[in-house]
Amino acid sequence: MNSTTPEHHAHRSGTPSISADGICLSFPDSTEVLRNISIEIGDHEFVSVVGPSGCGKSTLLRVLSGLQKPTSGQLNTPSNDVGFVFQDPTLLPWRTALRNVETLLELRGVNATDRRELAFNALSSVGLADSANKYPRQLSGGMKMRVSLARSLVTQPKLFLFDEPFAAVDEFAREQLNDDLLALFASAKFSAVFVTHSISEAVYLSQRVIIMSARPASIAHIIEIPFDYPRSPEIRYQPDFAKCCGTIARHLRQLQNI
Amino acid sequence: MLWNNRSASQTAAEYMKSIIRRYFGPGVVLIVFLAGWYALAYGLENNFSPASGTPMIIPPPHRLFEDIYGITRTKILIAFWISLKTSLVGLTLATSIGLVLGIVMAQARWLERALWPYLIALQVTPIIAIVPLMIKLVGSNFAARVLVTVIISIFPIISNTLFGLHSTPKNMHDLFTLQRSGPLARLLKLQLPAASPAIFGGLRISAGLAVIGAIVGDFFFAKGDPGLGKLITQFFLNSQAGPMFVTALAATLLGLMLFILFGLLNKRIVGRWYEGAISQ
Repeated sequence: MNSTTPEHHAHRSGTPSISADGICLSFPDSTEVLRNISIEIGDHEFVSVVGPSGCGKSTLLRVLSGLQKPTSGQLNTPSNDVGFVFQDPTLLPWRTALRNVETLLELRGVNATDRRELAFNALSSVGLADSANKYPRQLSGGMKMRVSLARSLVTQPKLFLFDEPFAAVDEFAREQLNDDLLALFASAKFSAVFVTHSISEAVYLSQRVIIMSARPASIAHIIEIPFDYPRSPEIRYQPDFAKCCGTIARHLRQLQNI
Repeated sequence: MLWNNRSASQTAAEYMKSIIRRYFGPGVVLIVFLAGWYALAYGLENNFSPASGTPMIIPPPHRLFEDIYGITRTKILIAFWISLKTSLVGLTLATSIGLVLGIVMAQARWLERALWPYLIALQVTPIIAIVPLMIKLVGSNFAARVLVTVIISIFPIISNTLFGLHSTPKNMHDLFTLQRSGPLARLLKLQLPAASPAIFGGLRISAGLAVIGAIVGDFFFAKGDPGLGKLITQFFLNSQAGPMFVTALAATLLGLMLFILFGLLNKRIVGRWYEGAISQ
């Protein structure tokens, strides 16, 4: 993977953790999915991606993670340190919560004692130390998602990719998970790309919100979110917060009318 | 107080109801079955020998065991043991070979496509057509009977292993791909555990088939000690209807034992985590 120095995108804070330049992707049946996408994400920056349903947001994440090769374009990612949180928790049902968190370390060859300790700490950091020995079927949707977060967290990724992770949990659990995620973001110092359908979730979590166009997806707008971290849940009810949400919603409506 | 008593009697009534709901259906079927059996036993012409009164074709249920003592009982017990051995050895072989074949076929589509037609052919070929060939190759002994057992019971293990390995969710594969896992780690830590409920389902079907295989093997390959199949033939030729039916019941019992054994194993190993576990 080549590192690129794009001129037209100033990066945020410090060195860019990840950059993509002119990413295009077409499937073998020649449907064009991604068109000329260039983004740069700084160290310890939180970026959300919103866009019309089915536009290719998840595909963009798969490209950034290395699961999907782009047809053309240059990509610079910390390929060994990417955490991916899927839309569903993707826990291995035959493993307990703790053993699920251990999975990735196990695949990387970390010895049993170390990985058990690391896994237990990660599980504690998402508040699930008590459920370490439960099987996924004994956990609620929100708890499963926390185990999934802990599983990625334990490898200490430099880049964290989230594919609508909280779409299936209820509103209350979702706000709680958002706060937990921000707490993890503050302590674990990763860069994050977060795909979501929820405008307020995107605004609440991130420093920038990328708005994608309908398929073939390209970057239509980038909205800066002016709030400092740590953010309290109350900012959701401030006029500036509503203004950000309104701007994004307006852009999305326009994109869907085209 | 009164309220408490009532709630206690209510739960007792609920409990009774659940018992009735559970055993009512099987009970009715059993009664109908036994009634049909009696109707046959006493309705058939010449079912009882005019001289001695012993049943010739089908003994009524309460007279099933009247000739089962001494040498006859010993014969049935030994045959039961031999058939148990044949089915277990055959099933063990079928499981090992079936798992390996399933895993091999899951590695490449072309392998699957190449082997599949022949496995179906093996599955539907009447054993009698290959009896001469098998006598030539392995003889007419225990080994031949085990081979029949393997041929009859292997298919569900292969097909369920293959199906199970193929049905691992794509996201889980992605998870392993992101860690750059090789095919062996993927097989051992992802695909085989994910396939285990399907594999156990196959094993349970195969356990029943293995008993059929052991008995069918007896019909064609008669060297050595007789198993249940050969004993049934003997009693048939001697017109011993009672012992013949008891031997058939012993075969049923053997099949049931293996089926329950694998059901329990499945519950212990897979039941802990598998949400769709089939109830006993």
